[in-house]
Amino acid sequence: MNEAIVKTPAAASDLAIKVKVDEKRFPALGDRSEQIVLRDVELGVERGSFVVLTGPSGCGKSTLLNIIAGLDKSYQGRVDFGPDTDKLSFMFQTPRLLPWRTVEENIRLVLDDGDAGGDDADRRVAAILERVGLSDAAKAYPERLSLGMQRRAALARAFVVEPDILLMDEPFVSLDDPSADSLRALLIEMWNRRPTTVVFVTHDRIEAVMLATRLVRLGGKPAAIVQDSSVEMTPEERLDREKVLAMRLQLFENA
Amino acid sequence: MTLDHDTIRPVSTGRVGRGVIGSVLSGRLGWTLISFFALLALWMIVAALLQSRLFPGPLAVGDKLISEAASGELFYHVGVTLARVAVAFFLAMFVGSAIGILLGRARGATNQFFDTWLIFFLNLPALVTIILCYVWFGLTEAAAILAVTINKIPNVAVTVREGTRSLSRDLDEMASIYRFGTWKTLRHVTLPQLAPFLAAAARGGLALVWKIVLVVELLGRSNGVGHQLHLAFQLFDVSMILAYAIAFILVVQIIEIAVLQPIEARVNRWRR
Repeated sequence: MNEAIVKTPAAASDLAIKVKVDEKRFPALGDRSEQIVLRDVELGVERGSFVVLTGPSGCGKSTLLNIIAGLDKSYQGRVDFGPDTDKLSFMFQTPRLLPWRTVEENIRLVLDDGDAGGDDADRRVAAILERVGLSDAAKAYPERLSLGMQRRAALARAFVVEPDILLMDEPFVSLDDPSADSLRALLIEMWNRRPTTVVFVTHDRIEAVMLATRLVRLGGKPAAIVQDSSVEMTPEERLDREKVLAMRLQLFENA
Repeated sequence: MTLDHDTIRPVSTGRVGRGVIGSVLSGRLGWTLISFFALLALWMIVAALLQSRLFPGPLAVGDKLISEAASGELFYHVGVTLARVAVAFFLAMFVGSAIGILLGRARGATNQFFDTWLIFFLNLPALVTIILCYVWFGLTEAAAILAVTINKIPNVAVTVREGTRSLSRDLDEMASIYRFGTWKTLRHVTLPQLAPFLAAAARGGLALVWKIVLVVELLGRSNGVGHQLHLAFQLFDVSMILAYAIAFILVVQIIEIAVLQPIEARVNRWRR
């Protein structure tokens, strides 16, 4: 391939996700001819890691995420999950809340009726709403809330199921900086409290550096992995803008 | 002082100057009442001018309405018709919605295939369905209900199919990620999105079912409003025809206001 820096992570024994896409095509649509989006992409995600998938807009990051999520099934390749990784959450680019259900109901609905009957489920919903700061908006319908608050609700929904794998597709895009920052801080806090395997797609390099324990960059056409680096930073450093900027320079020097 | 008074005065008393009658008349109810009485007055004038047994005035029709009601005939026949309407309506809504959802989800060939059938049934005159049902299944209650239901199903199916085609793929994906399952998806994701289409189908459907039920009763039943109209027609009893027509309109309006509108308001309460 091209002069890519592919540092294979050491000790890939305990993988939560193993995805191998030989080829992914988008069929011709209208006057656009058929496109090959991804070719020979192979990625193992270690349990408990926070992998950020980055790369230019439209390069196929979200497509790869949808393949992992099982939302896109028309590709050549395979996706395997490690043992005990059957609970999956997905935070989409738009909140995708049900507008005809209140915030509380939206979150309550994703809990299994079986293993989280009645009181326990109610308690979990209340606790997660409290943590994302939406207790007062519990009975509100989503469309009456700001986009930032809807995103908080979507984040609460993603975490309330206590997922083994959390997939996130540019979940903080099109928010103003303070709202995006506070949501990122909330995500870091929630992730620290309950570490889970995360695959996070973004084209925002600062966001990528702030969040990632491992950074995977896609590039080229069809896209392949052009960079795979671990990001060694303490939680405090991640909130320090200077440190983040320095790390970004270091990580993206060849980009 | 005047200024103080104006500032303190609550907004709601702003209309006091026009009095109760003024504020009723300026509202929607007011206009409904005015137009109702205008229609009544027009009817009275025309009836007075014509002086014909075949064009009775509102008072004659009112008399008839009261005597039919007093004898219990009116309630019996309206009740029978109402029951037929209810059964046919729910059957048609249920079957039509199921077909509509299936067709809306189907792609390409399946949809094209059934499209032809739908167009056929949509354009089949109601009278033909009714006659065929009576010819094939006899002058029975089941045949009557079946005829009405068959007439209504294609309309519901087409409306619900449009709704199903406009369903959000985003929300479907969300439901599949969080493993909602068929029933939960239908109840919380699909049906709320279809609500406006179901409401449109119900509204249009009710209006249609009402009218077809009367024809079905006229052609092959021995009770119900349609049968009474048939009798009145043979006797040239126009007062009776109008009395039943008015009773009928009243019942439809009551259902619209007391049943359909509250349901719609509830279903739409989340909208901004």
